[in-house]
Amino acid sequence: MQPDNALRQFLLFAFVLLLPCFALWTVAAQPLAMPVVGLADLLLGAWFPSVVESLSFHGGDVVLMTAFGELDGKPVLPGQSEYQLGFSINPGILSYSFPFYAALHFATQKKEYLWNFLTGVMVLYPLFLVGVLSLCLKELMLGLGPLFLDLPDSFIPNANVIALFYQLNVLIIPTIAPIALWLWQNWDTPLLRGVFGREPEAEEEAKTLLR
Amino acid sequence: MGTSSLKRFFLIFTVVLVALFSLEMWNPVQAHVVVPFTGMLASMSAAILAPFDPNVLAYGKVLQFKDSGFAVSIEAGCNGVEATIVLIAAVVAFPASWKQRIAAIVGGFFAIQALNLVRIISLFYLGDWNLEVFSWVHLYLWPALIMLDVLIVFILYLRYLSRERLETAHAA
Repeated sequence: MQPDNALRQFLLFAFVLLLPCFALWTVAAQPLAMPVVGLADLLLGAWFPSVVESLSFHGGDVVLMTAFGELDGKPVLPGQSEYQLGFSINPGILSYSFPFYAALHFATQKKEYLWNFLTGVMVLYPLFLVGVLSLCLKELMLGLGPLFLDLPDSFIPNANVIALFYQLNVLIIPTIAPIALWLWQNWDTPLLRGVFGREPEAEEEAKTLLR
Repeated sequence: MGTSSLKRFFLIFTVVLVALFSLEMWNPVQAHVVVPFTGMLASMSAAILAPFDPNVLAYGKVLQFKDSGFAVSIEAGCNGVEATIVLIAAVVAFPASWKQRIAAIVGGFFAIQALNLVRIISLFYLGDWNLEVFSWVHLYLWPALIMLDVLIVFILYLRYLSRERLETAHAA
């Protein structure tokens, strides 16, 4: 296929596939997030045992329940309040990288689809986990303030580091990771050979043999 | 561009990306660049809508319907600055002359912001119609579309570069 046609086909398919992929993801978003939420619950519980009580699904939402309470709109130490302070977490703002990646992946013409796709999903999962952890850290920092940042018995990253982690892992990685992954996996497809001005595979192999 | 060049590309891309994001988060940059720019986007959206819909009001970063009272505030993350940073990092990381890079960044900035205006206006009307659909499109679909726009701009730039190289090679 000519590089121009491959590019046109990719763009058309990417736009056409985007909506059904996102629709499917909307249906499957909760089960997709379950392993990550479970793992993040274990990690946060072990990291901040005196702060985080649980991270779990409450209906369709994920709630980060803390060991702190609330009194007059301010977070207070446990025992000073009747209410427990919890923060709502939306894993969807991270996991939409899956349908985005799926649209890019299946819009590209290549020999093998399924195995590559599964590998890509396996790469996206750890990034999803890092994103959930960054989101929780930001909520704890903003919601608990010094109660969290000055914890004596745990390593708490600097506030600026938490902000940068949030910015990168929550706002940027979910959109960049699928593209980077797609570039990496499709490096030898006619589409990317054409885009990067590289010779077709057969010509490159012939030149290597001649050398 | 071989696999080692691809690794080099990703390395430079990551370094530039983190540096520019750190710069963007710096308070003076927020106060003197990002916030005024975001306000300008709201005014531009209102200026585009005004001839077609006299029901629209803009103040600061806010767009509002006069009749229903529904309003959207354009916040950080909705101003296309992040997408522009990603494009700048990609263009800087790819080998080309600085003239070509600057042209790509300027052209790409306008392409991103044009689509971002479509995003703001579409979300404004969607929100007035249905808040659930607004949230879904705002949080999930539009970020992907904006980054797809960045990818398309970058791909077109790469194609332009490879054609330039071919023409130079043929002329030589």
